[in-house]
Amino acid sequence: MIVGASMGGLRAAESLRRSGFDGQINLIGAEPHLPYNRPPLSKDLLAKDKTLADIAFPIHHGELQANFVLGNRVETLNLEESHVELSSGAKYQFDYLVAATGLRSRQMSFPNNLGRGRYSLRTYDDARSLRDSLAPGKRVVILGAGFIGLELAATLRTLGCLIDVVAVEAIPLAAILGNEFGDEVRRRHVNEGVRFHLERSIVDLIGTREVEGVLLSDGTELPCEILIEAVGSLPNIEWLSGNEIELSNGVLTDQTLRVMSESGTSYQHVFAIGDIARFPYSTRSLPARRIEHWNIPIESAKWVGRQISHHEKPGSVLEFKQGERFNPLPSFWSDQFSVSILSYGEPTLADECLLIEGELGNEFIMGYRRAGELVGVAGIGMRREVNKLRGEIRL
Amino acid sequence: MIRVYVDLSKCQHYGQCVFEAPNIFKLNDEDKLEYAATADDSELLNVREAIDVCPMQAIKLVD
Repeated sequence: MIVGASMGGLRAAESLRRSGFDGQINLIGAEPHLPYNRPPLSKDLLAKDKTLADIAFPIHHGELQANFVLGNRVETLNLEESHVELSSGAKYQFDYLVAATGLRSRQMSFPNNLGRGRYSLRTYDDARSLRDSLAPGKRVVILGAGFIGLELAATLRTLGCLIDVVAVEAIPLAAILGNEFGDEVRRRHVNEGVRFHLERSIVDLIGTREVEGVLLSDGTELPCEILIEAVGSLPNIEWLSGNEIELSNGVLTDQTLRVMSESGTSYQHVFAIGDIARFPYSTRSLPARRIEHWNIPIESAKWVGRQISHHEKPGSVLEFKQGERFNPLPSFWSDQFSVSILSYGEPTLADECLLIEGELGNEFIMGYRRAGELVGVAGIGMRREVNKLRGEIRL
Repeated sequence: MIRVYVDLSKCQHYGQCVFEAPNIFKLNDEDKLEYAATADDSELLNVREAIDVCPMQAIKLVD
């Protein structure tokens, strides 16, 4: 039973089959769509005449032999009786459970809590709805200067919209990639005509029936037709509650991605993958963490498929190493105007950040060190050099 | 023999495929992707991995 039919769920099902699992596979998805690739939602899907077919993952149904139940949310898990109950009321028994429910956008609440004119971006339907409202000259306020906020700023600016970005931090991305990197990204956005309102928040919305503007914490009023909230996301884990599963900031797992109980024991048949999995470091004595990067659902899904196949038939999975710990190398990228960022590792762990190659203002690579060890790299351009440094990262 | 196709209008040259199938994919001196359109069957699993990790989902196996 795989709960969540996005990329992670799909890759888990594929991994199960490729590692020899021959039981039944059910994939339950809250969205009505088969799995699709989300990164284009903030870029091509808004900018070009693209449809779901352009971003859908290819699925080899003959090989996969999986039962997709879409447009259905899992409401509750009953771990003691090994079943889940769907929004339709249907119950499914399982021998193994993979939790792959991912994230949802965080929503703000304002005194004048208007609904019309407000958008967020997580799903294909979100992107379609936003795209239908866009036109050159539209005034757009984006709340949040993280990757999604900045990618949206770039895409919509390129489409001819007028963009104001509001964010509480002093420098975009500084918490992730450091002040210098973040400032460099901001500067390039400003050069393209994006206006920033940093160290500000939105305290209220202006308008009667739909959003006509926003009121900032410094008293500024920004008129707009479109408000996009890009203020992070929340793990979809409510359905797991009531089972003594450790659910503080995602689903806590052990080194094999088996879900853990509040009392610290692992459930042998229950796994969590992707954005919701809070998994331990394999070598560092730091608290377990969630990682919201695109490659984590893939890596964790492949891992879990093999774990389950091995558990079902010990010795049957090629190159399966008993006692191995899940230890992925996080990677992420982001395209904003002509700025393309590529990063590996966990720059947030660093106590030191230094320019490794190139120069700020042009193409460059920053290295992130913790106690002298390279824990992350990030570059604008210089792809091959960034890719070469990937192998030197120690997590 | 397997046949590989990359939609270069989608490809953003991140080079993730290079790590999975270094015999098939490489970034050239200008950081642009180059690839072998045909390969031995033994590369099939590597190419499948490359397809999965491509952020732009630009790689295909051609039947």
